[in-house]
Amino acid sequence: MDVFGSFALILAFVCAVYAFAGGIGAIVTRHPLLVKSTRQAGIATCCLIFLATFGLEYLFFSDNFANAYVVSHSNRDLATFYKIAALWSGQEGSLLFWSFLLSVYVFSVLITYRNKNGELMPYVGVVMAGVQIFFLTLNNFVASPFKALAVPGANGAMNLVARADGNGLTPLLQYPEMVIHPPNLYAGYTGFTIPFAFALGALLARYPGEKWIHLTRKWTMIAWMFQSMGILLGAHWAYAVLGWGGYWGWDPVENASLLPWLTGTAFLHSVMMQEKRGMMKVWNVWLVFTTFLLCILGTFLTRSGVVSSVHAFASSKIGSWFTSFLAIILLVCFAAYVKNRDYLKSENQLDAIVSRESSFLFNNLMLLVACVAVLSGTLFPVFSEWFTGNRISVGAPFFNKVNIPIGLLLLFLTGVGPLLAWRKTSTESLKRNFGLPLAIGIVGGAVAFALGFREFYSLVCLILCVFVASTIALEFYRGAKVIRARSGASLFTSAVDLTMRNTRRYGGYIVHMGMVLVFIGLAGAAFNRDTQKEMQLGSTMQIGPYTLVLQSADSRPERNYTAQRMIIEVMRDNKSLMMLYPEKRRFVTTVENGTMVAIYSTLKEDLYVVFAGQSPDTQLPVVHAYLNPLVKWIWLGGAVVVLGTLVALLPNRRAVLVLAGAQQPAGQPLAHGLPSSVTLREGHD
Amino acid sequence: MTKAHSIAAITMLAMAPLLIVPLGAQQLSDRAKQVGTKIKCMCRGCDMPASTCSHPGGAFSGMCDTAKAMLKEVDQQIAKGETDDQILQAFVKAYGTQVYTEPPKSGFSLVAWVLPSVYLFVGAGVVVFVISRWRKRLAPQVTPAGGTPGISAELLERARARASRETQD
Repeated sequence: MDVFGSFALILAFVCAVYAFAGGIGAIVTRHPLLVKSTRQAGIATCCLIFLATFGLEYLFFSDNFANAYVVSHSNRDLATFYKIAALWSGQEGSLLFWSFLLSVYVFSVLITYRNKNGELMPYVGVVMAGVQIFFLTLNNFVASPFKALAVPGANGAMNLVARADGNGLTPLLQYPEMVIHPPNLYAGYTGFTIPFAFALGALLARYPGEKWIHLTRKWTMIAWMFQSMGILLGAHWAYAVLGWGGYWGWDPVENASLLPWLTGTAFLHSVMMQEKRGMMKVWNVWLVFTTFLLCILGTFLTRSGVVSSVHAFASSKIGSWFTSFLAIILLVCFAAYVKNRDYLKSENQLDAIVSRESSFLFNNLMLLVACVAVLSGTLFPVFSEWFTGNRISVGAPFFNKVNIPIGLLLLFLTGVGPLLAWRKTSTESLKRNFGLPLAIGIVGGAVAFALGFREFYSLVCLILCVFVASTIALEFYRGAKVIRARSGASLFTSAVDLTMRNTRRYGGYIVHMGMVLVFIGLAGAAFNRDTQKEMQLGSTMQIGPYTLVLQSADSRPERNYTAQRMIIEVMRDNKSLMMLYPEKRRFVTTVENGTMVAIYSTLKEDLYVVFAGQSPDTQLPVVHAYLNPLVKWIWLGGAVVVLGTLVALLPNRRAVLVLAGAQQPAGQPLAHGLPSSVTLREGHD
Repeated sequence: MTKAHSIAAITMLAMAPLLIVPLGAQQLSDRAKQVGTKIKCMCRGCDMPASTCSHPGGAFSGMCDTAKAMLKEVDQQIAKGETDDQILQAFVKAYGTQVYTEPPKSGFSLVAWVLPSVYLFVGAGVVVFVISRWRKRLAPQVTPAGGTPGISAELLERARARASRETQD
């Protein structure tokens, strides 16, 4: 199977080179046979990468310990579930997995548009094949996962060997979320290749800009959704497994995943400027280019070890490949832009400063400032070493100080932006749209202050959250009220109806609502508390309103590890509330240990209990308890963001079906069944 | 087997010395914890701030001795009446600039702090410039940037028509 996988990868490389070179030939000659054969070569590349990936998984499932990668990342007793995840637990496998997910997208694009967009697709195909060639080069010649295990023999030659068992998978990765977090994040990283390929392809084909935006909207949203889910699942994994009580540590790899998300979010917004007003075409093209570059940079930071991180795999040789690829992409993008930039001219002017247009500009500004600030902070240790010889650390406190104000401004814009009209917003409309939400926000802030929410940023954040949530709720209410008046359905049904008529707009609002929930969760972090104690049987520790009593302890041998478990009773007001079972897992194959945090999660707060192990001094179990307010809101918010994105991906339901039989007053023009005052005031999707 | 393990674990707990100084007794002041977030635990194993030092994956994933000693030192310095900055400087003297969890606001590190504001001001400047240019622009005239003759409006329109003809969603 080693040979099968290697062979599939080499063939995939050959096919990708054909798809690339033949594609260029097809663009130049327009020969139909060449166009068709290069598309088929693209499809063959993907199928061969699928086969190679399944080949590697087969090696894991068949416990083939003659393969070096399998030996390093698996063992016989590893649960089947984790044998799937072992694929992306090391450098070689992750890079193959990158190729695999990219191929899923490329395959879908090539199949979806097989009979469409005949003039544009060769350009797109060439760009996609170019990216595939890069990763296949790494898969084949730099970091092949199909290398046989070999040891140096007596005569200096390498001898092939097979081990009886493997080294096992890192315990930190033996957690259910590790099976879904990396695929999501990678699906985000790879997914941005598609809008990139269309943007570059359309620019090379001298399309004036609108077309690629329409064609790639759904692809971009899918990539963005996966990226969002990947980031949040990663945060949840860090929270539930690493056992330090937090979910985001501004680790370089976490930052790397945030960067393309920030530019991708900016793009999803500024794209509306182009669709509605024919503006910002150059900017949009460069935003997509940048997002893709950041995806590659993110993979590079993760894999190169240039910045130290718990996730990074130190390997300098891979770094130079990535920097070269980044330079080539940048060069190609720049050349294409310089040559064909005249086709990206803006069509409209700005009518007023207080308008949707300028709110989008500020939204993009803040997202980009956040992105550049995180990027330069992440790379600062490297720069400081170059310039001064000293490596200066840039840790979480720096990123928090810089990004909290930016985040709050973005939250403010989330509330304000969608309610400003295109072109010009009147003072009356400002009063009508913002008066009530602003009042509700201030009342919310006063209540929070009275309840003890007295940290400046957290309080501001909460006020803004209430304000933004009110603006969104008011939007739904107003729209739904109009529909209710016509159809007689309940307000909720009308709101659902409203959403389905304009899925993109109301799906977007749902995403915003999800972000509000995430921010509520983040605001709680200022009030985190923790305490650590060596405990004996029956001893207690107090944290907030909870009393923890160590009732017992046990040890449970499992197939791949032994779990030491503390049995802790949680009391509140002298009443037993529940039992918590924090665990420490000692694995058979590695010296590393796993932590299973026990969390009692409510909307108000998480009681987060870690069994840290036996104290090295006294051999007594050490229990570390945290009280983290509002964390659950973050995960809920994430779910709402995904829901909103899925809604926005749905096609609009035709209003006419719903309005059949509804009386239309004479002389009142209807758009989507809404009175002109409602639709035109917003004037947007 | 499970039962035997449980008994062993419980025995281990029960046999432990009775007079243990719980970590709670060494509880640090809030200020010590606060200063502890600004210095990195120098055990070289965790790369975390001293206050939140833990060793994910370690046999003992609580605060390590290095972090404890550093925080104790902070506490003692506080008791002596030193300012946060003086305490930080003492640690920098002992461990070098690596000990910072955030760059100091002096020397080359000041660049790290200034940069985000520079991005914001430059970005805001660009936005203001773009807005003022958009305000002046006459729609829908196509004016090439830099005054050099670009493609004609007619050619652009032809390209647009071609794009519409050649693509479908």
